Amino acid sequence: MSGTDLAFWTLAAIAIVSGWRVFRTDSMVRSAFLLLISFIAVGLIMLLLRAPYLGVATIFMMGVEMMVMALFMVMFMMNPAGLNPMNMVHQERFAVVAGVLAFAGLAAAVWLTDLPQHPLAAGRPVIRELGMELLGRSMLIFETAGVTLLATMIGTVVLSSRSGRFGPADAGSLPPPLTPDGVPAGRMPEKRSGGHGGHGGHAPAAAPVTAGEPAHGHANDHPHQPPEHHA
Amino acid sequence: MPWLGTLVLLGGSVVFVAVIDSLAFALIAQRPPVNLMRDALLAPWRAVAVSLVRQQNRTEHPDRLNWALAPALYLALAGIGLAVVPLAPGVAVIDSSASVVLWGAVETLTVIAVFLHGWSANAPLPLIGAYRYAAMGLPIMLLSMFVLIGTALPAQSLSVADIVASQHDVWNVLRQPLGLLLFLLLGLSLSLRGPFDYADSADLAGGTASEVSGAARLTWQLARHAMLVAFAAMASSAFLGGYLGPVRAGPWWLALKMLVLITLLVGAGHSLARLPPSRMLTVLWTVLLPLSFLDLALAGVVALW
Repeated sequence: MSGTDLAFWTLAAIAIVSGWRVFRTDSMVRSAFLLLISFIAVGLIMLLLRAPYLGVATIFMMGVEMMVMALFMVMFMMNPAGLNPMNMVHQERFAVVAGVLAFAGLAAAVWLTDLPQHPLAAGRPVIRELGMELLGRSMLIFETAGVTLLATMIGTVVLSSRSGRFGPADAGSLPPPLTPDGVPAGRMPEKRSGGHGGHGGHAPAAAPVTAGEPAHGHANDHPHQPPEHHA
Repeated sequence: MPWLGTLVLLGGSVVFVAVIDSLAFALIAQRPPVNLMRDALLAPWRAVAVSLVRQQNRTEHPDRLNWALAPALYLALAGIGLAVVPLAPGVAVIDSSASVVLWGAVETLTVIAVFLHGWSANAPLPLIGAYRYAAMGLPIMLLSMFVLIGTALPAQSLSVADIVASQHDVWNVLRQPLGLLLFLLLGLSLSLRGPFDYADSADLAGGTASEVSGAARLTWQLARHAMLVAFAAMASSAFLGGYLGPVRAGPWWLALKMLVLITLLVGAGHSLARLPPSRMLTVLWTVLLPLSFLDLALAGVVALW
């Protein structure tokens, strides 16, 4: 077994084990960075395959990506700062079936494909050739895919960030009370005069304790609103 | 012997950073010039001794593994960053054809190392520092890569060795003066220094390092200095011609340029104020990032000329 073989098997084992630990750990931040370890191992395998640009760029891009992913997961999930333990596995039966099918499909694809065996000559300018391919013949495909993905990402954030933790984020939502039928927990929004005529309309003027803007937590999805609200 | 040369350069420059750091502080604070130099020379070693005898701090339920590994990762990244810089023609520890991209990976993983250092302590001030640094570090990393690609254009290569060789006639700082200015911001950010220290700053009582003491803190400070050294080596090679000089190209020219850049950055770290994070984010995304696009576009025009 040559040094390259040894490096390959070690890196492959690291990639698989860390990929498995992604789902066995109990924190979003830890799972994001375990996934990063898996990708770094794959990037190093690409270096063994004499693809220096692709290998290092994988590590580079995945580093940014996993950092951003950890931040976004913490922002969108109900887990302040990502420090509380949480289960990383959901919909287990569906996930098991999908996982087995995907593994069988990919394994079959690897098995049935006639994999090329052309070791590259040492001095070949692989980065130049890759650049010519990416920005030459395939430029339209890559640029179209890139812009489409960017538009999708921005659209997803815009659509998903509107529904805040306690109702639509742009309607000024209120947290639920700590006791049934109690006062909403947390700090009340500052009372502002004027500019909110449309909202104030369906709130009783004498809404007692919610001194702020009682109409905001729309009653339908908040059963624990003060009872006066329903009257 | 690229290994030995790089290690000597790293060790010597780290000591230089520590000495110039305490000297700059004393000069700016206008201490009476009695024993100024002797104090500056001794201060780093005193700090090392104090760190070594101090006990390790503990927080409630930290992520022990990541907390212990983050300083080591930071230090290792500084070492890799320095290793891609050629000391002389054909003499570099990592002589890859994609070494500029490798430097980019070092920048990215540095953000992760600093984030993990603050996150895994499980304490408020380190956590704030960690999130603040991730928000700042990513845009600074982006603009630094645009600027760095600008230096790869005249070389028509992603290898740092080729970038240095392409500056034989004229240094990149003359071709792209804006590029060096923007790139220097990265040095302050990567080594958590002065106006770009949003991770370990005084307003967070030390931020990600506020709960760390003893040997772990010493490693962290050492890694910060080492990262500044690695950055100075990269900036010298990308913009100031690296090992090239008027007579006899060699590592001495690289070392000289690094010492000048380190002095400049340490001085800037002590004398420039830090913007509030929200304003700095606005400046980064709306002013500095477009400036880096402009720099890259100009570099492209000049390269096509």
